[in-house]
Amino acid sequence: MNDLIEVRDLSVHFEIRAKGIGGARRNLTAVDDVSLTAKRGQTLAIVGESGSGKTTLALAIARLASGKTTGEVRIDGKDVVSLTDGGLDWMRRKVQVIFQDPFSSLNPRQRAEDIVREPLDNLTTKTKAEKAEIVDRFFNAVGLRPEQKRLFPHQFSGGQRQRIGIARALSTQPEVIICDEPVSALDVAVQAQIINLLRRLQDEFGLTYLFISHDLGVVQHMCDSVAVMYMGKIVEHADRLQLFNDPQHPYTRALISAVPAVDPDLRNRGQKLALVGDPPNLLNLPKGCRFASRCPLAEPRCFETEPPLRVRVGGHRVACHLVDLGPEASAEAVSPSAPEFP
Amino acid sequence: MSFLLKVENLRIELRMRAGVAPVIDDLSFELAHGESISFVGESGCGKSMTALAIMGLLPEGIGRVASGKIWFDGEDLVAASPARLRHIRGNKIGMIFQEPMTSLNPVYSVGEQIAEVLREHQGLSRKAAWAEAIELLDAVRIPNPETRATAYPFEMSGGQRQRVMIAIALACKPKILIADEPTTALDVTVQAQIFDLLRDLRRQTGTSLIMITHDMGAVAEMAERMIVMYAGRKAEEGPVDKVIAHARHPYTQGLISCVPHLVAHLTEERQDLNEVPGIVPGLAEFGQGRCLFASRCARATERCLTTRPEEIAFSDVHRSACWHAEGM
Repeated sequence: MNDLIEVRDLSVHFEIRAKGIGGARRNLTAVDDVSLTAKRGQTLAIVGESGSGKTTLALAIARLASGKTTGEVRIDGKDVVSLTDGGLDWMRRKVQVIFQDPFSSLNPRQRAEDIVREPLDNLTTKTKAEKAEIVDRFFNAVGLRPEQKRLFPHQFSGGQRQRIGIARALSTQPEVIICDEPVSALDVAVQAQIINLLRRLQDEFGLTYLFISHDLGVVQHMCDSVAVMYMGKIVEHADRLQLFNDPQHPYTRALISAVPAVDPDLRNRGQKLALVGDPPNLLNLPKGCRFASRCPLAEPRCFETEPPLRVRVGGHRVACHLVDLGPEASAEAVSPSAPEFP
Repeated sequence: MSFLLKVENLRIELRMRAGVAPVIDDLSFELAHGESISFVGESGCGKSMTALAIMGLLPEGIGRVASGKIWFDGEDLVAASPARLRHIRGNKIGMIFQEPMTSLNPVYSVGEQIAEVLREHQGLSRKAAWAEAIELLDAVRIPNPETRATAYPFEMSGGQRQRVMIAIALACKPKILIADEPTTALDVTVQAQIFDLLRDLRRQTGTSLIMITHDMGAVAEMAERMIVMYAGRKAEEGPVDKVIAHARHPYTQGLISCVPHLVAHLTEERQDLNEVPGIVPGLAEFGQGRCLFASRCARATERCLTTRPEEIAFSDVHRSACWHAEGM
């Protein structure tokens, strides 16, 4: 299959200064040795709790993370971590972002058409007429009316504002769009409108989505494959049916069972895997598996060694000591425990 | 059957530049002892206003109860004096707000904030209130309550802060607990913990629960009965299982089917989500003599645009305010 995005051993570090004058500097590793792939024209969802590093990972892939980034990100075979100037413009045209909050992600002093045109001004050398044509086309594609082009963001509803954000992301005709919680700030009925729109646009323009969300219902509907993150690590990476029908990692199972279900069959299955406590501190990580302190199944070895991401039958990747890899699985270790960053 | 809370023909008006708007328009409902009900709807439908009205906390000078009664334990809260309401709030009716980050005082320790409620409402001494606060922190499952009681809100995670809010609301063992979107700001795993906690506490104390939410899944997990609100009016009311299995109002159907729910067995097949087009009307349109949902409704007919739908009862407990309810 054709992988459009390939990420290998990607880490993002932030320097944190302790309280007070001259406080000690420490390193916080928000994304820790992450490897994943996304296929062209498909949706890869990144799920996890807040603080798990999912947004940082996606921003690092788009070269937008402010921390120190190491590792390799290939988009269409081209390494983007080392790009500068002109190469970076190429990458910016190819990779665009839709943000979570449609209220703060649009400039309140620009008209809708200027907002949508801005990426074209910055990244392309198209003529005025060409740009105007492109703005019209995508205004129409996201379901806004031409006469709304002259309005300011505050004159739109939340859903319409998100449509402007989508049109802006589409304007450079990218191949990859990073959707960072694109519907979580919207009302439920409006969420459905935006989700349907995103899926329609994906078909129409052959887009590849990196879809960041904490809402497993939305993820299950949108994605083709899923990467589950916990404390900066990927704990499970599988395609949609495998992950939702046969989740392997205890954290994934806990996440899925924590979603309040409308389906009575699901509610009465009675195998809730409840998590206790809060995640550990990223600045003071435990020795073994990062999930062990909250894991209902943890064994002594889980507190000793960090489980590598291993491949199971059918390409299902899991980082857990307790998971049986199945008969024909290879013992390929993707990343052993991460070395301490100096 | 005697009700703990009975709201009759409640109308709440908000003063705006363009005149008054009825944010709650002729709302009636009951809450039995120990019962759990949910208010569901999009933002701007009047769910939170209902809660604030019960608490006597409508925005001063802007919102007021124009007509109707709120009977609580045989007493009309609309006519109650501010002093009496102050006594009822906290003692008899507790409330948890949506944002645990902003509804706690950042400059007091959490133990102090719980103890304050006990001193104010139950006249406990400083020492006794502090000891009780620690008990309460333990009851909401905060580890090491003795040391955590001295922590400030910023030192706690979102889930822990919400637990502190619950401890404050339950400090005086209220008869009703109102939870306004208690888990919207939290992660799903933490949400599950909070729901578990609320369920257990309810079992132990017999408190009635009014939960306000937009998440049908949360309703299905937590409530026995639900009231669907739209544009300040009750669209549908009934037992949760019945309404989810067979909603009698197009808005309820829309709310249920527009969300991609997790299913027990996932297949390749993926259909487009059902859309409810448009958005909730602005306050200026509230109170008009027609069905306010008609502009977003696929079933709308001439009658919906000219006459406000009456409530149709399908059983003693299931009612819908839609002209087409019978055909659904």
